[in-house]
Amino acid sequence: MVHRRWLSWWAVTALTMLILGPWATVASSQSSQAHAHASALTLVTTQFQPITEFADFQSILASSPAPTKAVYLDAGTLTTQLTAQEQTHNVKISVIAGLHGDFPPFVAQGFLQDLTPLLKSLKSRAFPASIVKLSQYGSKTKHYYIPWMQATYVMAINKKALKYLPKGASINSLTYDQLIAWGKAMMKGTGSPKIGLPAGPTGLLARFVQGYLLPSYTHANVTQFKSAAAAKMWQKVKDLWAVTNPQSASYNFMQDPLQSGEVWVAWDHVARLINAATAQPNNFILVPAPIGPKGRGYLIVLGGMAIPKGAPDVKAAEKAITFLTTPYAQINTLDKLAFFPATGVKIPKVLPAGIRLEANAVSAQAQSKVSVPSLLPIGLGGQGGAYSKIYTDTFNRIVLNGDNIQSVLNDEGSQLQGILTQTGAACWLPDPPSHGPCHVK
Amino acid sequence: MSAAQVRSRPKKGSPRVHPLIYVAAIAITIFMLMPLWLIFIAAFSTQADVYSFPKSFVPVHFSTDTMQFFLNSPGVLPAARRSLTVGIGTLILALAIGTPAGYALARFRFPGSNLITLVILTTRSFPVLVLSIPLAVSFLTWGLYDTQQGVSLVHTAMALPTTVLITSAVFFGVPADLEEAALTLGCTKVGAFRRVALPMALPGLAAAALLTFLLSWNEVFAATILTLLNRTLPAQILNSLDGAPLTYQFAGGFMLVVPSMVFIFLIRRYLVSSWGAVTK
Repeated sequence: MVHRRWLSWWAVTALTMLILGPWATVASSQSSQAHAHASALTLVTTQFQPITEFADFQSILASSPAPTKAVYLDAGTLTTQLTAQEQTHNVKISVIAGLHGDFPPFVAQGFLQDLTPLLKSLKSRAFPASIVKLSQYGSKTKHYYIPWMQATYVMAINKKALKYLPKGASINSLTYDQLIAWGKAMMKGTGSPKIGLPAGPTGLLARFVQGYLLPSYTHANVTQFKSAAAAKMWQKVKDLWAVTNPQSASYNFMQDPLQSGEVWVAWDHVARLINAATAQPNNFILVPAPIGPKGRGYLIVLGGMAIPKGAPDVKAAEKAITFLTTPYAQINTLDKLAFFPATGVKIPKVLPAGIRLEANAVSAQAQSKVSVPSLLPIGLGGQGGAYSKIYTDTFNRIVLNGDNIQSVLNDEGSQLQGILTQTGAACWLPDPPSHGPCHVK
Repeated sequence: MSAAQVRSRPKKGSPRVHPLIYVAAIAITIFMLMPLWLIFIAAFSTQADVYSFPKSFVPVHFSTDTMQFFLNSPGVLPAARRSLTVGIGTLILALAIGTPAGYALARFRFPGSNLITLVILTTRSFPVLVLSIPLAVSFLTWGLYDTQQGVSLVHTAMALPTTVLITSAVFFGVPADLEEAALTLGCTKVGAFRRVALPMALPGLAAAALLTFLLSWNEVFAATILTLLNRTLPAQILNSLDGAPLTYQFAGGFMLVVPSMVFIFLIRRYLVSSWGAVTK
């Protein structure tokens, strides 16, 4: 009996603590949160994870007229937190600054505000139309984010190569046919192939096929995989490979063979070309990727800024977003963080010459009328590697092994379909939108 | 004393220890300590030494530069302070709830007591990941989101199984006869607990408390899901560790490891005695 009474005494105490504890804290936390909101808005970003980059981002934000507290969250944690906040109508995040591929789950669940009015008020920023269209995610009238920054892949050219340029060709609007002719001329003139591609083990050749070659020839990167246009494209790739330095099979970063002069013309991610451009800005020019029959396919790594529905301070959030699209913020993002402007801002001469070269190429590529922007895969989850391997395998079998083009395409195409069906990924740009998993035709 | 018995037991029963066992023990110890040693010397070298190659195995220039760089990085000190508050809150809550539970499990035979022990353990096998959105939703509704109290509550829930099991082991090691003797000499039940059982269990309880604190100090997942601006140290550091300068990584690693090392050093005797008592 005595035991029981003693036990129940503890039980009552523990229960009381459990029940009263939260209430005691509610008052204090709510008052402190109210105070925090009054002073600064919360901007969550999925970018700039390295602490030094994050510090640079914060230093840019420090000039914002709306005091902003930036927090880094990985995309998964952001999804969890925002979902919980939207479900309870208790949103703490005012601005989400992420990549284009971070937003689709939020758009699908209706978590994001329509920013069309804000976009209209920012008309003077001259966002490229192709980018603005992306922020609609298939909607007719709504825009879910304001363009923030971008990165992409371009071509670097050693000035020595210019004298072999085919007649009538212009380096800013080169076609793939002209590129092949140029390669032939350089090979004939110098005795060695001078075009380079990053086809090494960790090179980004798969992106060249997905985002550049296929969209330029088929206006798609998935649905037309097995088409006659794709087969024709692969024939051209074989021609291109014939005038490409065979060492390309070992190149991962094109800046190294470019700097050593081993190759003169090369395509790669801007971050993998920048060293050549900064080390020898007078020897190199950077230009947009070539053009195919369907236009200039190019891949964009695009960042945008969104406001969640129910955000605590929409006015301040709009101010912060407006600030980050100002020339000051855009140029500083380029200078300190190497992400290019998503606006039509002019790149000033004071920037390092290499960055200036890249910025001009990036903006020429995005502003071009013939551009066919492609996105990195959306919705593949952990299958991104397997997806890219299909494109590398196809390249290896057709170009290096010389297998029959159509049978390789049929074979790899069905594997591609397997991944799309398994992940249920809908088509992404430049393929037409699909209901349900994307289909390889 | 049970603790002394447990510690002396191997000596009495076992024959002479084979020298190879010593070799193995030393090898394992070196294997475990080597990364800690490297973290330690890097955290107390100059920033230039941290980047030099090859790395030296002895500290060349002792310096607090690296630690200062880390501690002065934005958000680190407030995060450390929050971690401390959360840890102490967790410790108090977990002991207040866990000690009586442990005592009850150790002292009383009641229907279903084995089942309760089992159920307590199974909560540990439940992945917190699955709970992340419901947890965040509940905490937002209760106004506990992004507060230190809220994180303390979750850490308490995570620590309780360990706390209950350790405290029950501790009380198991305190002979019930002594408490009964106190009762026959005029103590009330509560008095007997307070004057006899509690003082004898205190070292073990301290060990349980420190272990609870460590669990909270090192916990990342709940802290990441339930906080936004008010992050604890592990949530803050792990978020920014990838791609951070080497100096930051070493100093951050040092900050996370040191409390654990110090506490484990302090409580190791009690750990052995309390876990040993379970097998009795």
